[in-house]
Amino acid sequence: MTATSPTARTGQVASAQPSARPGKRGDRTGAASRAPWLLLAPFLALFILTFVLPIFVAVGSSFTKVTRSGLFGEAGVKSEFAGFSNYAQALADGSFVASIGRMLLFGVVQVPVMIVLCTVLALMLESASAKWPGFFRAAYFLPYGVPGVIATILWSFLYVPGLSPLFDVAALVGLTPDFLGANTVLWSIANIVTWSYTGYNMLIIVAQLKAIPGELYEAAKVDGASTWRVALSIQLPLIRPALVLTTVFSIIGTLQLFAEAQVLKTVAPTIDSQYTPNLSAYTTAFAYNDYNVAAAQAVLIAVAAFVLSFAFLKFTNRKSS
Amino acid sequence: MSQFTRRQLLSAGLGTAAVGLLSGCATPGIRSVNTAPVLAPAASGEKITLTYWCWLKDAQKVADIWNASHPQVQVEVVWIPGGNAGGYQKLYSALAAGGGPDLAQVEMRSLPEFMLVNGLVDVARYGAQDYAHLYDQTLWGQVSFSGGVYGIPQDSGPMAMFYQPAVLDQVGGTNPGTWDEWAALARELRQKDVYLDCFPLGDASVFTAFAAQAGASWLRPEEDGWVINMTDDATMKVARFFDQAIDEDLVQTAFGAYSPGWFAAAAKGTIASVVSGSWGDALIEGVSGGSGKWRVAPMPTWGGSGFGSSYLGGSTAAVLANSKHPREALEFAVWMTTSREGIDAEITNSGIGWSPSPDFIGTPRQAPSEFFGGQSYHQEIFVPAAQQQNKDWSWWPVTQQSFNILSDGFRKKASVTSLVDSVAAAEQQIMTVFRNKGLSIRKEAS
Amino acid sequence: MTATVTPTSTSASPARTSAAGTRRSGSKGRPSTIIVTAVLVVVALYFLIPVYWVVVAATKSTEDLFSTNGFWFAPTVALWDNLAQVLSYDNGIFIRWFLNSVLYAGIGALLATYFAAAGGYALAKYEFRGRNLVFGTILGGVLVPGTATALPLFLLFSQLGLANTYWSVLLPSLVSPFGLFLCRIYSQATVDTSLIEAARLDGAGELRIFHTIGLRVLTPALVTVFLFQLVGIWNNYFLPLVMLSDSGLYPITLGLNNWLSQVDRLPEFYELTTGGVLLSIIPLSIAMVVLQRFWRGGLTEGSVK
Repeated sequence: MTATSPTARTGQVASAQPSARPGKRGDRTGAASRAPWLLLAPFLALFILTFVLPIFVAVGSSFTKVTRSGLFGEAGVKSEFAGFSNYAQALADGSFVASIGRMLLFGVVQVPVMIVLCTVLALMLESASAKWPGFFRAAYFLPYGVPGVIATILWSFLYVPGLSPLFDVAALVGLTPDFLGANTVLWSIANIVTWSYTGYNMLIIVAQLKAIPGELYEAAKVDGASTWRVALSIQLPLIRPALVLTTVFSIIGTLQLFAEAQVLKTVAPTIDSQYTPNLSAYTTAFAYNDYNVAAAQAVLIAVAAFVLSFAFLKFTNRKSS
Repeated sequence: MSQFTRRQLLSAGLGTAAVGLLSGCATPGIRSVNTAPVLAPAASGEKITLTYWCWLKDAQKVADIWNASHPQVQVEVVWIPGGNAGGYQKLYSALAAGGGPDLAQVEMRSLPEFMLVNGLVDVARYGAQDYAHLYDQTLWGQVSFSGGVYGIPQDSGPMAMFYQPAVLDQVGGTNPGTWDEWAALARELRQKDVYLDCFPLGDASVFTAFAAQAGASWLRPEEDGWVINMTDDATMKVARFFDQAIDEDLVQTAFGAYSPGWFAAAAKGTIASVVSGSWGDALIEGVSGGSGKWRVAPMPTWGGSGFGSSYLGGSTAAVLANSKHPREALEFAVWMTTSREGIDAEITNSGIGWSPSPDFIGTPRQAPSEFFGGQSYHQEIFVPAAQQQNKDWSWWPVTQQSFNILSDGFRKKASVTSLVDSVAAAEQQIMTVFRNKGLSIRKEAS
Repeated sequence: MTATVTPTSTSASPARTSAAGTRRSGSKGRPSTIIVTAVLVVVALYFLIPVYWVVVAATKSTEDLFSTNGFWFAPTVALWDNLAQVLSYDNGIFIRWFLNSVLYAGIGALLATYFAAAGGYALAKYEFRGRNLVFGTILGGVLVPGTATALPLFLLFSQLGLANTYWSVLLPSLVSPFGLFLCRIYSQATVDTSLIEAARLDGAGELRIFHTIGLRVLTPALVTVFLFQLVGIWNNYFLPLVMLSDSGLYPITLGLNNWLSQVDRLPEFYELTTGGVLLSIIPLSIAMVVLQRFWRGGLTEGSVK
């Protein structure tokens, strides 16, 4: 990291002095007030184009309804204000609501499992007892470089009977697993997500652990604290911000789940075309051609993600204060 | 100062964009191409390139034969995933974006869905009726709606039963003539730990084909809107039949036909047969060590009522709305599906389904098959099967959603709901879907 | 969460080196080392076995793939045939997909980092009207799932004629609200205001100050934002799936799924897909292993402060 040079410090004194070129003063402030907007301009322009406008479009088209007359709409199509009817239709769609419920169940189980797993791994890697921490860190992080689709293709080969060696291994201990059954496939997806993101989350926590000042460990040692005690009393409280961050990202990630279900659908007949909220919106838009209801679904997904992560942040804030 | 104007500019630009987008035209597919003037053919001497999106294997090789003799109209093939596995999504999104190919492979059952988003050109306006006599009349009926023609039949899948005689022989059985005999045979085979066939809970198209065979006609267009009847005697008979078959564990429901699990079971002989479309032959040839072990028989029938066979699958080459050259696209589609060289090339390169031309089933299909023990099953089984079809059946504008609704219900078969109940519930849901789209629909008065 | 260690004893201890000393003394407990290492090895197997499987599978012909043990090599090694097929199929479309991915992820991440740095720096180092509103809006953007905007974005881009072009994937990739968030926090913490003032006195323009001082000081955070965005774009599937219908524009994720969806009709695509998966995970895996040491910088700065 770059250290601030001693000359820079002197600049502070200089700034207090009146400007040497008073004539240019107005120019200066103009430039200074323009500068932040100039710097922000490219980001803001793109942000408006790819975040703000689409949200407007989504909200707008979620309040629009297209009605057709005739047998195939050949006698005329009209587009009109729909009120909340698209939202009502989205929420009355049992499959869409079921997909949200499914993701909640998924999130309630998978997110804590993954957060606990990556925390434990991080603590173990940073503990004195770990051998070759560099190797393990790299090995755990590696799946993050495998895109979700490709990770799913990979695991789907391991889930399919006849192709996967896992079945041979399971047969040795007398098990006949069914990774793609109606009740198991959700957890097969959870496994793929855990496999992909544990290492990444672990790395965030490891980074935070490394930032804990050595003095604290020293103090604990003087107090005769055990490894457990150190983990519970020093490390866990201090990595809390990282845990909050990873949890919020995992919650958002859960509601975004799409690729895993869509790819696995080809080998798992129990996955329907509305298995996750996103898959549902995609199907509604591009298989049922109902862009307006799909927009309503997209808005609902965004609101749910927003509310859930916001609630989680509030919850953790209250606990800490 | 400049900050102010910039902000003004920004908000003004944002405002106009938003107004433009919110004003309804943001919803794709609400402009009709079939009320626009007919497009002129390409000027002579002008060289044009047509694009054709389909999921046939090596279809470019078929197009190359056409290209060699038509230097002015070149056809370029782009492979897309099959139908609802991703191909339609791509087509819809391309259409919504104002693009897309000139021609696309669209299943018969999906034509009305594409019509609903104004995705198809009515090729009757470009002279398609002149070619009507070249096609099987049942299929031509399935591409004709309200006086227009919205696709050129490309292939179909008349159904029959593919079976392994040696496996049936374990219980002294042979190919069943009726579904009742089929059930009796299945019961005996279960003693030997063999399933006669699968019943796919996740794919409603097979159940639909069985219902059509039994004589059902779920939806039909009338002057005042659609008329639905999914709880007729024929459908209920089929639903009750498979309810019982599943309850008695006569059919395999853990996997569907042609899945990796199915291939393993078929090779081991724990799956004895499959009732499937004619295109199943190419897939069955992929069963390892299966050569000589398979035969083809007519589909079991429902006794006195119904038809000898049914169609499972079947696709068209449809001209899409944004095509600049619908006339030339139509000509290519007709050449591909009716000329001898076109049909033969589609069979050898793409392993296409049953030919829509009643006059020519294709040269490779006239010879006996070595894999199927020297049986000339195309002539023997499928030619008659293609004639014993339910001509009243017609497809409707929300087939995919209807199939999903049906299979969502079927998946619950494992726990609680019977097929009979899910079909009845599906009928109600499908009516809601129609009404949500603004289409009028009523239940058939019984 | 219950008890905290009393800080009184800290003062007694000498600084830094002792922390390492504490840890080292802990490693004398032999049984704990064995247990911890054993657990770490088991977990490592979980993470590595699928990768190992694909390496093995890529060496097999389709027939061997189904008939031989998945965790061991078949007698005939078809690796080179498979890879040659992957690279040559359909006039080398795989290489095209790969280059597309490099283009989307490389250019996207580079520009996104630069824009996020400029924006974050501006929000941290200038007082201006509307600052909090802008920052609050962008922060809201962090919490909106990218896939929820993809669908309306498609409708928008269709109207603008941008759908199914390179731009349709590249433009949304240039925005990283989270990157801006990190850059703002990092700027607040590390870019010295007096440095900026000094540069102003020397007559340097505001943009020049950002480019010479701001970017240099922000470098550690920029590396993190770049990597974060690079992986994010490389792994993105939903956006290109929604936007692109021309397979020549596909990134590698979409392309490989295109191949996978053909296996049920054409089993030879198993070889292509496993070979393609192997080739596609090699470069990024190497990148991950090498780059993971750079990862820590900004992320924790962001979350601690």
